[in-house]
Amino acid sequence: MWFHLPARDHVVMDWAPALYMIRVDGHLGAMALSAFPGMTPQQKGTHTVLTGWLDQSALYGVLAEMEALGLGLLEVRQLELPGKSLKSGDTRSP
Amino acid sequence: MTDTPAAAGSGRAPGRAEPGLIHRNDLMATLNRAAQKPVTIISAPAGTGKTSLLRAWADQPGQDCLIAFMTVRPGQHDMQLFWLTMLGAVRAAAGTGEGGAELPPVTPGSSNSAMVEKVLSELEESCDRLVLVIDDLHELSSPEAAGQLTALLTRLPPGVRAIVATRRDLPLRLHKLRLAGDLAEIRAAQLRFTEQEARQLLAAAGIALPEHMASMLHQRTEGWAAGLRLAALSLAGHPDPERFVAEFSGSDRTVAEYLMAEMLERQPPEVQRLLLRTSVLDRVNGELADLLTGATGSERILLDLEDANAFVVSLDPGRTWFRYHRMFGGLLRLELRRTMPADIARLHQLAARWLAEHGQAADAIGHLQAAGNWDEAARMLTDHSLSLTLDGQAGTVAALLRSFPARTGEDSPDLSLVRAIADQYQLRLDQTDAHLREVRVSVATTPPARRHRLQMAIASVDLLSARLRGHFDSIFEQAGALLCPGDGQTNADAVLSSDLKAVALLNLGVTEAWSLRLADSERHLLEGAALACRIGRPYLEVACLAHLGFASTSRSFAMARQRCEEAIMVAARYGWDAEAVIAPALAALANALIWTGQFDLAEHWLDRARRATQADGEPGIRLLVCLTSAILQAARGHGHRALEEFAAARHMQALMVGEHGLTTRVNAWTIATQARLGMARQARAALAALDGRQASAGEIRNAAAVILLAEQNPAAARRELRVVLDGDVPVLSYLTQVEAHLLDALACRDLGDERASQEAAEQALNLAEPDRLILPFAMTGAWQLLETVPRHGTSHAALVTDILDAIRGPRRGGLNQPAMMPVEELSRSELRVLRYLPTNLTRREIAGELSVSPHTVDSHIRRIYAKLGAADRASAVQRGRELRLLSVGRT
Repeated sequence: MWFHLPARDHVVMDWAPALYMIRVDGHLGAMALSAFPGMTPQQKGTHTVLTGWLDQSALYGVLAEMEALGLGLLEVRQLELPGKSLKSGDTRSP
Repeated sequence: MTDTPAAAGSGRAPGRAEPGLIHRNDLMATLNRAAQKPVTIISAPAGTGKTSLLRAWADQPGQDCLIAFMTVRPGQHDMQLFWLTMLGAVRAAAGTGEGGAELPPVTPGSSNSAMVEKVLSELEESCDRLVLVIDDLHELSSPEAAGQLTALLTRLPPGVRAIVATRRDLPLRLHKLRLAGDLAEIRAAQLRFTEQEARQLLAAAGIALPEHMASMLHQRTEGWAAGLRLAALSLAGHPDPERFVAEFSGSDRTVAEYLMAEMLERQPPEVQRLLLRTSVLDRVNGELADLLTGATGSERILLDLEDANAFVVSLDPGRTWFRYHRMFGGLLRLELRRTMPADIARLHQLAARWLAEHGQAADAIGHLQAAGNWDEAARMLTDHSLSLTLDGQAGTVAALLRSFPARTGEDSPDLSLVRAIADQYQLRLDQTDAHLREVRVSVATTPPARRHRLQMAIASVDLLSARLRGHFDSIFEQAGALLCPGDGQTNADAVLSSDLKAVALLNLGVTEAWSLRLADSERHLLEGAALACRIGRPYLEVACLAHLGFASTSRSFAMARQRCEEAIMVAARYGWDAEAVIAPALAALANALIWTGQFDLAEHWLDRARRATQADGEPGIRLLVCLTSAILQAARGHGHRALEEFAAARHMQALMVGEHGLTTRVNAWTIATQARLGMARQARAALAALDGRQASAGEIRNAAAVILLAEQNPAAARRELRVVLDGDVPVLSYLTQVEAHLLDALACRDLGDERASQEAAEQALNLAEPDRLILPFAMTGAWQLLETVPRHGTSHAALVTDILDAIRGPRRGGLNQPAMMPVEELSRSELRVLRYLPTNLTRREIAGELSVSPHTVDSHIRRIYAKLGAADRASAVQRGRELRLLSVGRT
């Protein structure tokens, strides 16, 4: 499993990390949260929202981990690019 | 070779129904319906019960199909190992695996599309009720995976079906199947448990719940298979099942995590300990589990867990290796990381040591990396990268290399040698050199115990680079260092060193061959082949043997031919008769056949050599192929086409740093051919462009004589030839002298001296007789002189007849006409059998080669005879040859 994934700091990507929020179904407990050490969890209703700065390969790593744990993925959104906030109504898609 | 357990890739053979699982009749009916179609894809997330469904389907009563069941192991980076696993599963299912037919060895560097063909052809032979089941296909991560799998699934032979399970949709281009209604899909919604099924599952686990409680549980798990199974495990023997369900339903925690924690808590401490600590492994057996838990009796626990349907499955019929359901394993690892973070590195370290001791280097290196033991991981990868590459695990080496942290300076582990080998594998030779320079620097600080092997590795990589670049002069001095035996080696060290040494001998022998140091080449190739055979590296053995034919041409063409044929037969035994590795033997065989006048047969082998030669492959072999094509054209009197092929050969030379030994011939024959075609001006210019050393070669003097003959200056031509005939200039071999005598004969004829002309021709025949050479008579046009020679005037009457037959065509009478007659097309299986008929294998042996029964071979042969109108094996071969059916790749 994880030791088959390439080390995240080694894959060179053009894009700097951006702030992402990822919404999954259910409340994640300590066990599941330990899979996402770099992200801040927040419970919203019956969902959990994870927020953190991720570059593209880290983002895909997180998504793969969610797939492996059988989590229900509800939403992925980019909130902020390095150095500038996206204005509301910005149509940039995640 | 890695000593991989039976667990390597195939899943547990079906046949042991999983206990505690219910019969999901509706779902089974859905799959049974779907599986009527050629291809069924089950695509659904983790824990939805794909594997259980596949196993239950395979084990269902009345299942009358043969089932080849395979599970892709986590992080499978190497397509070839994937295909070999599939081949093993197909053979096991079709019953062709026992009593012989070993799996073919890996072909390092192969494109693998040949493996797809091999699997397809075995599927066709196997049986007409075979179902190929591939579980966990999403674990396959190779750039070639999608293309090759598409090829497999869209070309399944009639009667063979495939069922594929994956966690996510894969980029397989199956739209044609879909349009044709040949594709069925089962997705998550269909895998969901109904409430009724959820109740049955609980009942089967001996859990009595009131109806509304069972309904609540079903609702809370949303019919998710893994959730229901985890719940059943927790509820079994639970003191208060109703409270359990109420609390679970009241919780917003994710189903998997909540139930996992509950389930673990209800296990005895030793079971918890085992599950958590062995979760770092992809596969576990009792011994490894004992090692990691520091306890005994782990095997019993694993067996009990499997019997309790607790997400543990055995991988082999003897139930010694187990794996956890993927999602379950992932959750266990998280819990381990949360509760015992300090122990994780040590667990990986222990696992690495055990795996290394048991010959599973790649897995061991992965665990060393997971333990953060980068230095040891780097050292082990350095030691094993060549062997792993030879084992067909180049993709794994690349993946392991990527898993090291980015380099941060001098204290980072030294991976230069691994990078050099990986870059060389991808033909990035400049990067290879750069890494190799770093390796050289580190030799001085390497402990003596490892130094010898490191030096051998450097030399081995260097030799291959030189060979790929055609850099022939640079490398001979390195040879000595390689060949001294290492001292104080451990067994493992000796094995690794042997891999290096065999590769080095191969590359040395090949480079010597292209430098025309044929005696050295022959010696090193023979030594390399013997060593490769001894250490069980058939690929290296075949690679050495493939070049041996060319190296033997200095002895005799008969011997060259014999060695080429032997090499091709050995290659065929491993399924490599169309691979690049055997191309040198195919080309050298064609070359020898052309020299001895068997032009049609030569063309057949030359075609095969061309197909086996990679477009971007080593220039040395490509030059031989071009040169051979050219002389075949020249021998048949197609001068212009010959010139094109000579030009292609010169282009190959331009790609090389050093001078290929055959380049003198290419230049000489280019000039001679131009002169014969009336292009005297170009020929003169080409001659003038050569430097002094090149121009002094006997071959070039012959070419100069051809120009003079074309310029109708036979006296000057004779003077030019004199130095060649007197042995005053260097020549590549006696072949040049034969040519010189023939040109001399032509010059004498032009001078009107018939007697001297006949004497010169007789001299040429004297030299040509032992090898029964025909080509020089064809290329020079001197064969025409033989037409007027009375047979009693030569002591070589039989050879003269052969020469004239080969060049003017054999006695007229019907070889060409029947070849054009249409015949009923041979099936793919029949063609495969036909191609064995020219060999001296018996029918029984052919059956063994093809992994089919002798009876099948007999019936194929009967049909082949009927379709070709042949009475016996010899005439079938003759007809097959005329119809060009013997070449591989037509199907």
